[in-house]
Amino acid sequence: MTAVTETPAWIAEITMAELEKDPYPFYERLRKEAPVAFVPALGLHIASTRAACQEIGSQSDIWDGVISPAGGRTFGHPAVLNVNGPEHDELRGMVDPALQPSEVDRYVDRLVRPIAKRYVEAFENDGHADLVAQFCEPVSVRALGDLMGLQSVSSDKLREWFHKLNVSFTNAAVDENGEFANPDGFIPGDEARAEIRAVLDPLLDKWTVEPDDSALSHWLHDGMPEGQTRDREKIYPTVFVFLLGAMQEPGHAMASTIAGLWTRPDQFERVVDDPKLIRRAITESLRWTSPIWSAVARVNKVDTTVAGTFLPAGSVVMLSYGSANHDANAYDAPSDYDLDRAPVPHMAFGAGKHGCAGIYFASEVCRIGLEELFESIPNLERDETKEIDFWGWGFRGPVELHANWEV
Amino acid sequence: MTGHTVRLQTLGKVTSCRGDQSLLDAYLRDNVWLPHGCTQGTCGSCKLRVLDGEVDHGNAPAFTLTPEEREQGITLACQATPRSDLLVEPLAEVSDDGVVRHPLRDLTGSVVVLEDIARDTRRVVIELTEAMPFNAGQYAELEVPGSGVWRQYSMANPPSETHRLEFHVRRTPGGIATDGWVFASLAIGDTVDVRGPLGVFGISRPQEEPAILIAGGTGLAPMKSMVLHALAERLVPELYLYHGGRTEADLYDGDLFRALEAEHPNFHYRPCLSEQQWDGATGMVTDVVLEDFESCKGMSAYLCGPPAMVEAAGKVLKRRRMAPRLVFKEEFTDAADLAAAGAPLATAS
Ligand SMILES: Cc1cc2nc3c(=O)[nH]c(=O)nc-3n(C[C@H](O)[C@H](O)[C@H](O)COP(=O)(O)OP(=O)(O)OC[C@H]3O[C@@H](n4cnc5c(N)ncnc54)[C@H](O)[C@@H]3O)c2cc1C
Ligand code: HEM
Ligand code: FES
Repeated sequence: MTAVTETPAWIAEITMAELEKDPYPFYERLRKEAPVAFVPALGLHIASTRAACQEIGSQSDIWDGVISPAGGRTFGHPAVLNVNGPEHDELRGMVDPALQPSEVDRYVDRLVRPIAKRYVEAFENDGHADLVAQFCEPVSVRALGDLMGLQSVSSDKLREWFHKLNVSFTNAAVDENGEFANPDGFIPGDEARAEIRAVLDPLLDKWTVEPDDSALSHWLHDGMPEGQTRDREKIYPTVFVFLLGAMQEPGHAMASTIAGLWTRPDQFERVVDDPKLIRRAITESLRWTSPIWSAVARVNKVDTTVAGTFLPAGSVVMLSYGSANHDANAYDAPSDYDLDRAPVPHMAFGAGKHGCAGIYFASEVCRIGLEELFESIPNLERDETKEIDFWGWGFRGPVELHANWEV
Repeated sequence: MTGHTVRLQTLGKVTSCRGDQSLLDAYLRDNVWLPHGCTQGTCGSCKLRVLDGEVDHGNAPAFTLTPEEREQGITLACQATPRSDLLVEPLAEVSDDGVVRHPLRDLTGSVVVLEDIARDTRRVVIELTEAMPFNAGQYAELEVPGSGVWRQYSMANPPSETHRLEFHVRRTPGGIATDGWVFASLAIGDTVDVRGPLGVFGISRPQEEPAILIAGGTGLAPMKSMVLHALAERLVPELYLYHGGRTEADLYDGDLFRALEAEHPNFHYRPCLSEQQWDGATGMVTDVVLEDFESCKGMSAYLCGPPAMVEAAGKVLKRRRMAPRLVFKEEFTDAADLAAAGAPLATAS
């Protein structure tokens, strides 16, 4: 591949481990020097500026959605991320109805508020908690789990599944032949997938004959002729998309919002005092630490030039939305969390036909979750004795988030 | 002066506003309720987005209305005057919370009671020529005669009395309305111009949560109205009134509150002194609250007085885990606070 020989050393030498620890310095240089660059460690191109991500993400006539190789290995085909045209329309037609804002408004408060209350009640008298493990992740998975019809699956199991799928999905490193550099990295995802099928198959059997109002029951029946259900091989890859990204990301978003606010104690206090500011706090956090940092890709149908880089038809470009959201051309001091910054729209939910289907649902889950947390523990404080480590390149958020409060 | 037409985008309400009149004033007089608090430009709760037309931002302080907000077409309804016909939209949600609002009106009255009730504190009762319906906790503005200077004072009488308004005024050294008028030339029988009611602070509807009322100095005024109203109408299951002063010389109306306490088992009166040992509570009123309640979860609070006390009380209630959305505040900001907030100096009235 010609692109490899032209690659500057600093790009050629970047490793997954470095990116997962802290992708920002590398990406800052990419945005300045190589907005669309071939990265040998990944075997594909990366778009890092806001303009390039915007252009590629939104021009659906030129760019098709495509799953990264590790993502495809993890989810199988046909995942909603990886299909286009009528096949994509059908899968979006399957997942979208429950996620329309007007529909979400109908159920979301009743669904999420009791869940958030329950998880806060479990630790509110302890005076300390790891908010990632005890609040953000459980609220995130329970809300979507109940919506999907997975009441019988424990929150801990749902968390275990997304963590395992995440490991495989982001096992992106390739060797010089373009083969996966670390094949064992797919074992956790394979295990999770097998277990998911073992748990879900009986549920799908039940919904086949006894449809109910759960999202997965609708996925089986909606748009199908009387008496038929959608082939479950068509459903499972998108189930895995949900059980990873959709389960994990509202949790990342809540945790990053709290971590961001803790960098600005005055703003944290304002938000706790005035819950109406929670929406804005979440929006800024999605820009500041985008949960889906660099996980989705596009492939061009025709030869294209983006940001000066020629891309022959069939080039796979990964959209690093987490980097686009730190583009200094759009945001002043982009690495600072700032509730009051000028409201330039962020790209944390992606763009174009493959843009996130769960924007409204996810935002409402985060809002209601944080409302309940700050309402019950308005004296929440950062535990200053513990570091806040962010991790991840594909998906990114705080690993743990330790808080203290007086009881 | 001719009026400009002002329209509220979502509510569709139209009013006429003179070039020398604030948008808030025009709407409240027209009995269209808009969110607001201080009418002084300090609280920011009256922000409007101007969608069409031009306004003069008046004395809006830079602290409350930032240059960026001005650029985005945001203004303070209590300070802005129209320069053309306008289309506007409040930033805060104008939701129907079931509270009956009373239109703002101009009234006159005469002083029928003027008495010293505590250190540097006077009770002023004004008999109005017409009724001024209001909600417990609201305030009115009094004009320092002939000066064009208006100052805010909270009604201390219950809203059932609409003709006789009781105010508690604390002397501010060097203050135009207090040192220069209420504590100087004001006399029984004097005519006073009044406009009101204003503000959103107070208790007007039944609530499930027990309430803690914390007053500093003449911050007791709206609390007195609220206590009388809430007890008469049984609006609150349990009511705790805290009044903070330095020494006994700062307390007033204690007999009244003790009598209410004897009569109503769900009312508790707790005066606190910060600079005098006595048989009552000693310490800053906020510290006393901190000691009295192990947890304030599920309770609500009303805080009124000097801004520093209100802020300190808010912090204490947070420590005791009261939900911030159930904490209501009225700050007695004055010209010094306004100057600190960056109000244009020459016109600080
Ligand atoms: C909603 C609300 C309700 C209120 N209710 C009550 C109440 O019930 N009872 C009560 O006693 N008070 C109340 N107040 C406060 C009251 O409105 C007056 O602010 C207060 O009485 C002082 O008025 P003044 O004219 O005497 O002083 P001002 O002339 O306003 O001066 C106040 C202080 O600021 C200083 N000052 C003036 N100009 C400047 C400047 N440019 N720079 C720096 N310092 C300056 C003065 O020297 C003085 O110390 C309320 C305030 C609000 C906002
Ligand atoms: C804060 C949390 C979330 C963030 C930041 C987020 C972000 C994203 C991003 C960046 C994409 C890729 C868009 C693109 O390719 O341009 C995406 C896709 C998607 N998201 Fe989300 N998401 C979140 C939560 C959710 C939730 C809760 C759901 C479902 C309930 C969901 C459903 C989807 C689906 C179905 C897709 C694939 C769309 C397609 O390819 O057509 N997301 N999301
Ligand atoms: S009412 Fe306008 S700033 Fe307070």
